[in-house]
Amino acid sequence: MPNRHSLFWKLAALLVTFFLLVISLSGAWMRHIDLESSYLSDEARHELRRYADQAEQAAHAGPLAVDAFLTQLKSQEHGWMAVLDNELQPLGTQGLDEELRQRLTALRLLDWPMSRRSRDLPLLKIPFADGQGHLLMQLPERHRPWRYRLLLNLLVQYLLPALLALVFCFGLYRVLIAPLARLREQANALRADQLHAPLDAKLARRKDELGELSHAFQHMAERLQQSVTQQRQLLRDLSHELRTPLSRLQVACETPLEALELRERVEREVNLMRTLVNSTLELAWLDAERPSLPLEPVSLSALWELLREDACFESGWSPERLPCLLPESCVVKGHLNALARALENILRNAIRHSPPNGRVCLGGQREGADWLIWIEDQGPGVPDSDLALIFQPFTRLCAERPGGDGFGLGLAIAQRMIQQQGGSLWAENRMLGLRLNIRLKTV
Amino acid sequence: MSPYSDRQILAIEDDPLLSSHLSEHLKRQGFSVTLCRDGQQGLALACEERFELILLDVLLPHLDGLSLLSRLRCQRQVPVILISALGDEQARITGFSSGADDYLPKPFSMNELQVRIEAILRRIAYERRQPSHCHGNGLHFSDERSDVAYQGQWLGLTPTEYRLLETLSQHLGEVLSKAFLYQQVLRRGYAQHDRSLDMHASNIRRKLARLGSLPIRLEAVWGKGYLLSSLELS
Repeated sequence: MPNRHSLFWKLAALLVTFFLLVISLSGAWMRHIDLESSYLSDEARHELRRYADQAEQAAHAGPLAVDAFLTQLKSQEHGWMAVLDNELQPLGTQGLDEELRQRLTALRLLDWPMSRRSRDLPLLKIPFADGQGHLLMQLPERHRPWRYRLLLNLLVQYLLPALLALVFCFGLYRVLIAPLARLREQANALRADQLHAPLDAKLARRKDELGELSHAFQHMAERLQQSVTQQRQLLRDLSHELRTPLSRLQVACETPLEALELRERVEREVNLMRTLVNSTLELAWLDAERPSLPLEPVSLSALWELLREDACFESGWSPERLPCLLPESCVVKGHLNALARALENILRNAIRHSPPNGRVCLGGQREGADWLIWIEDQGPGVPDSDLALIFQPFTRLCAERPGGDGFGLGLAIAQRMIQQQGGSLWAENRMLGLRLNIRLKTV
Repeated sequence: MSPYSDRQILAIEDDPLLSSHLSEHLKRQGFSVTLCRDGQQGLALACEERFELILLDVLLPHLDGLSLLSRLRCQRQVPVILISALGDEQARITGFSSGADDYLPKPFSMNELQVRIEAILRRIAYERRQPSHCHGNGLHFSDERSDVAYQGQWLGLTPTEYRLLETLSQHLGEVLSKAFLYQQVLRRGYAQHDRSLDMHASNIRRKLARLGSLPIRLEAVWGKGYLLSSLELS
């Protein structure tokens, strides 16, 4: 069943109205035409009335005059004619024709409608002005009514529905095609790379299928714009980031250095660039493919142990500074490598922003069917307005940080990795330091 | 005398600089290297002659590496390391499913390549040799149960954990590279962010620790691999 706002109702209303209009209008007009076209024309009445006046004068002048009038009239008109008094007796000298006498019961007055059924022309009774007699006369052929009836009927039967159909078609066009044309304009704007073209307000207000289409279209345009912006941003940022190691390499090339030192420097910068390119590729892959990772049970305390070992080696921290406050039983549904990668990035970031002798701990609690896990450092935290920003690629909040370590890709990758596993990652400022929360499904 | 003297390696790589660099490095290691810059020719060479290992670039003129590999696999089971500038996960999976033994994303260091080559050659040598368990530190390896017992107590290992511990125990006191352990234990190539092996090692350690003081210790050697050391020796 189509919903309340569906186009179906509009179409149904239009169609029903159209057919009802056609049926009722053409029916009414046909009846009207039948009636109107059955009366005598004014000209005919005038002429006949004039004959009656002449007949009246003749009647006053005597029966001979009536005979003369009738003879003269017969030379002008065909059919029966007679001049009678109120008792239907002829006023002339001649008696009434037998056939005419039989027809005296079917006399019609001038302002009556004429029957269409009788094959002969109707016999008219035209009273004299003084009311002392009548002129009886068969309607002359040239004044026969119903003359344009067929034509008018054709008009009403065919032309009227055709005109209504045109109006209906216009309505249909307004309802269906005009919004599509506006959508097409928008699509053309997209084709011309004008990704910012706003949604047609009238179209956006619609709640029917076309409204839905336009919203889907808008969504697509936004996604396209987002991905284009993202790509441009990524490309720009990547090129910027590559400049740093490249310029260091250039300096190294131009400085007279010992072979060993030069090699060390080159190796360091090459490794830096490799990490950068790999991370960027990974990010681009996560964004573009949105891969769905196969999930398996992962024990977080065991995973933390692995990560802690690596982190201690990399940073020189003692394992006690990276405690795990999670119970052994904390097992989540995740993808081992992706989860490890996300936690590793978060941990690395936390260690980087920790004060000397600071601690980074892994904690969490069970919340229904989820585990809420957090990694907490004792660093300076992040301004509240930037909490979402740190997950954008190439974001480095403290540009003045010496060493320029990291490219601001770690958390961006971590967030996407967690999202691929059906979880979420967000940051939160605590009394002391920053807390990164991860929500993952429990087994 | 190098351990790899007269080992035949075929390198199919179209970048002249990289391929000459490769060949130079491998020759220094004692390998005998045949270079080829074209996919079509490479396939013919690989089918005609017997090589111990093939290094195969994915993007090649005339015949790309993946099609070459699947055509080669119809005839030969020679180990193949794919080398590719496409470093993402999808490319890796495609590479393995076409029958590659390992997948090395560009850029890579010669040391990395060396480790991977050793891992594969070693695995093959291993497969040819009769397995022999070394005892003598009180550990009893049972192939039937896929488990290890110490003083009558079973560790309760999974088959993969058993294979890992068994492989390590045959090279007591020797650091085994992750690349080799992946080849030997997990039967697949190693990637930078793959944590499966670490997880298995961590599980073994926890199971060893449950039994109290044991004469062996499983150690991670950062950036290299794993080592099973005997405490009686040290």
